[in-house]
Amino acid sequence: MNRRQLIRCTFAAAALVAAPSVAFADVNRIDVYITGDSNIINFWNNIIKPAYESAHPEYTLNVVSARNAIAPIVERTLAALGTEVDPQVDIFDENDPNLPAGAIEKGLWVDFTEAGLQNYDKINPVTIETNYGLPYRGTQVVLAYDTTKLAPENAPKTWAELVAWMKENPGQFTHNRPDTGGSGGNFVRRAIHEANGRDPSLFRIDNYVQGESDELLAKGFELLKEIAPYTYGPGSYTADNMQSIQMLAQGVITMAPVWSDMALDAVNKGVLPETIAFTQLTDLAFAGGFADMTVPTNAGNLEATLKLADLVLSEEIQTKVVTEIGAFPAIGWEHLPEELASKYSNLQPASIPTFPGGPWVSAISDGWFRNVAPHVNR
Amino acid sequence: MSTVEAATAAVKRRHVDGRGLIGLLLVAAPVTLIGALILWPVSVSVFDTLTVRGPDGRHFSLESYRFFFSDGFSLRNLWLTIQVAAICTVLLLVISLPIALYLRFSETRLAGYIQALALFPLFVPSILLAYALIRTLGPNGTVDILLTAVGLPKIPSPYLTPWGPIIGLVWDNLPLTLLIILAGLSNVSRASIDAARDVGAGSFAVLWYIVLPRIRGTLLVAASFIILGLFSAFTLPYLLGPAVPEMMGPFMRRTIIEVDDPLQARTQAVVTFMICALFAMFYVRSVARTRREQSS
Amino acid sequence: MTRVMRLDWKGWLIAALLTVAILLPLVNVAVWSFTEVWRYPAVIPQKFGFRFWGDVLGRRDVRDAVMTSLSLAAIVTALSALICLPASYAFARMNFPGRNLFFMSFLTVYAFPKFGLYITIATIFIGLGLIGNFWGVVLIQLVSTLMFMVWIPVSAFQNVDRRQEEAARDVGASPLRVFWSITMPQVLPAITAAVLLTFVNTFYETEVAWLIGAPEVRTVPLLMIRFINSELIVQYGAILSLIMWVPSFLLLIVARRFLGAQALGRAFA
Repeated sequence: MNRRQLIRCTFAAAALVAAPSVAFADVNRIDVYITGDSNIINFWNNIIKPAYESAHPEYTLNVVSARNAIAPIVERTLAALGTEVDPQVDIFDENDPNLPAGAIEKGLWVDFTEAGLQNYDKINPVTIETNYGLPYRGTQVVLAYDTTKLAPENAPKTWAELVAWMKENPGQFTHNRPDTGGSGGNFVRRAIHEANGRDPSLFRIDNYVQGESDELLAKGFELLKEIAPYTYGPGSYTADNMQSIQMLAQGVITMAPVWSDMALDAVNKGVLPETIAFTQLTDLAFAGGFADMTVPTNAGNLEATLKLADLVLSEEIQTKVVTEIGAFPAIGWEHLPEELASKYSNLQPASIPTFPGGPWVSAISDGWFRNVAPHVNR
Repeated sequence: MSTVEAATAAVKRRHVDGRGLIGLLLVAAPVTLIGALILWPVSVSVFDTLTVRGPDGRHFSLESYRFFFSDGFSLRNLWLTIQVAAICTVLLLVISLPIALYLRFSETRLAGYIQALALFPLFVPSILLAYALIRTLGPNGTVDILLTAVGLPKIPSPYLTPWGPIIGLVWDNLPLTLLIILAGLSNVSRASIDAARDVGAGSFAVLWYIVLPRIRGTLLVAASFIILGLFSAFTLPYLLGPAVPEMMGPFMRRTIIEVDDPLQARTQAVVTFMICALFAMFYVRSVARTRREQSS
Repeated sequence: MTRVMRLDWKGWLIAALLTVAILLPLVNVAVWSFTEVWRYPAVIPQKFGFRFWGDVLGRRDVRDAVMTSLSLAAIVTALSALICLPASYAFARMNFPGRNLFFMSFLTVYAFPKFGLYITIATIFIGLGLIGNFWGVVLIQLVSTLMFMVWIPVSAFQNVDRRQEEAARDVGASPLRVFWSITMPQVLPAITAAVLLTFVNTFYETEVAWLIGAPEVRTVPLLMIRFINSELIVQYGAILSLIMWVPSFLLLIVARRFLGAQALGRAFA
């Protein structure tokens, strides 16, 4: 972070000279950065944008796809903090406020407990991980499999059955790398849960201790190393969510972990054949999670952006979260229409096992790349 | 040739006096841009990797480099990158040279077709190429479909192995290499080749004694261009390559985004830069040697 | 002319190999763009259709991005030629202090890993208000084109036949006239190559456009990355690239006239 300060000093003078050129940005535009796949982008463009703009006609939403490249934008926002510069960033739809380290302490993110949002109290408390992130939609990882090669009655129901099936059918399973996309990452997290007594409460946002916690992770990595020789390749892990789905569509593999909403969409659009079915492990489900919106305190339109965040948590939008993208709502079912609740609430598991972000993310990603990935190589 | 060189030397001498300032003015704009937007940020990066912030301000430290060079994982990634770069460079030169020679010394319609074809990868962004190759050479891709249709076994797919990025990068860099070599070949006159042929030299002898010495510098330029580009390649290694070992491009990005370690990422960048600088130095020295030989 | 005949089997061999290596993946993409369902092991896609074409062409963001990309590439290429070609001439023909050092400094554009560099540049740009700004993207893309634009023409300028120039000057031609009639035709192929490379590299560039340009500057490749990486329907990306080949084809045809003319001219010289 030293570099940033160094640079800030040097360009303080330069900024003065260039000051007139700063005021380019359209002042009434709210820049929304979306990390999700295109279904989420379409949701913001087609549902949230019209709703917000009709309520606040003086503002326009600018929806930007930031997939896999959010870190530089966050860095940019952080660099502008404390200067007069508008970072042209108002809200991230899915972002971990713990990254980069120290951003919270520097006051980069809005604390939602103090932001005075009307709908904040409606949020289902189990979905809140941090004061600096505002959950608004939840999804879960499930196993997608090809019923032409695996009959639904034989689909694995527990981790042990899954491993047994993989050993009987080598090369028929793959997952993507845990650094992108998340479906593979949550498969890795499920292995870590499995190796630690299937107790998600062992992992909390604030209890990562270097060394000690790495031992917990290492036990999970051991399980993954055990199954590595039976994965496709063996040991060929795809780059992203989409590549796993394509391997499934091409009939190369029989099973892969996928995001539930994304895979359903893929079947609806004919990308995956009708013969694809889904199953969830019953001893402990795959981790899922809620997407946390974050708002930088130096957002150009902070007040309007908070109104936007409030709108996303409204009954109207949260209903659409369920019906349009097949995700779980972040506010309690009691705040949603009764017919919706009776129809869908049983689909949502009592609690989606979650795995905290923050330091765990880099520990798992780096640990997997250093320990599991090199274990077998084609 | 000696008359040309003498004339060149004469022109050069005449230009030396009084025109230095004009020369400097003409190059001022691009050189300034390089200084402000490349050298300055690079110096900031290097400075960052060489210092740590202690209680009493910044002081010099080689800690980040010590970590990089004692970390087997990082070294393995670096080694893979070097290997891939070497293989790609050799493949590219071997593939481009015959094509370039053919294009240089023939003016058939076929040459037009070949040139258009060989330059076409310029117009294919790497993200699309990655998908085209997955669909074509990937498991159950088009090649597999065609082979299965005629009853042949499937190919061992290069997808998600180090050969995936190699194929992709060669494909992607072919036009650039070809253009550089073609430019160099324009120095080789047809007359000199015909003369050699007339005294009975075979194709190989012509290539070895007439063509190669004249385009040695060009080949070095081509090689350094390719290598420098390969070290920061991201899309193709990321999408087509294995999870580990990673090439430096994906590794740097993952270090910054996922591992959240900008210092290490910068160290990786500087190490990569140093290796590239080494190639650049070879190149610079060879150019200088050629110049000396010409002027003596 | 007999040599041409003898060389020809090589030509056919090269043409055949290149056709397979270059065209197969591209034809594959083209077929995919008209395909709605194509699953292994069918040789012919199960379902053809134009549905996705309608989807892509009907989008406003696609049209806007095409305009942004074209103007960005055109402006960068023009600026680059404007400042680099004189510099290139100076490097080739003049002697001035620090010439070799300056000349080699262009290598650094290529030598430092881009991603690391752009992140540092982005933090500098934000203080200058150049983030999310069209001209910020122009500036940094301009830098990445410098090496091609300076280096490629240099060797051509050096190889210009000085005897012709001297001769022209001896019969009283003005320096400008000499440059235009003698020097220019000889370096045109190299300049064409440099312009072509610059335009195309700028047109298909993604990292700068994203790191510096977001959210204001949206280019076609950025759209394509989004289409291919996060859109379930990969065909959108395939269609977009087919659309993008139209300007590229035109450029290539124009460029080939100059590139090819050179080969011809040389052969008869």
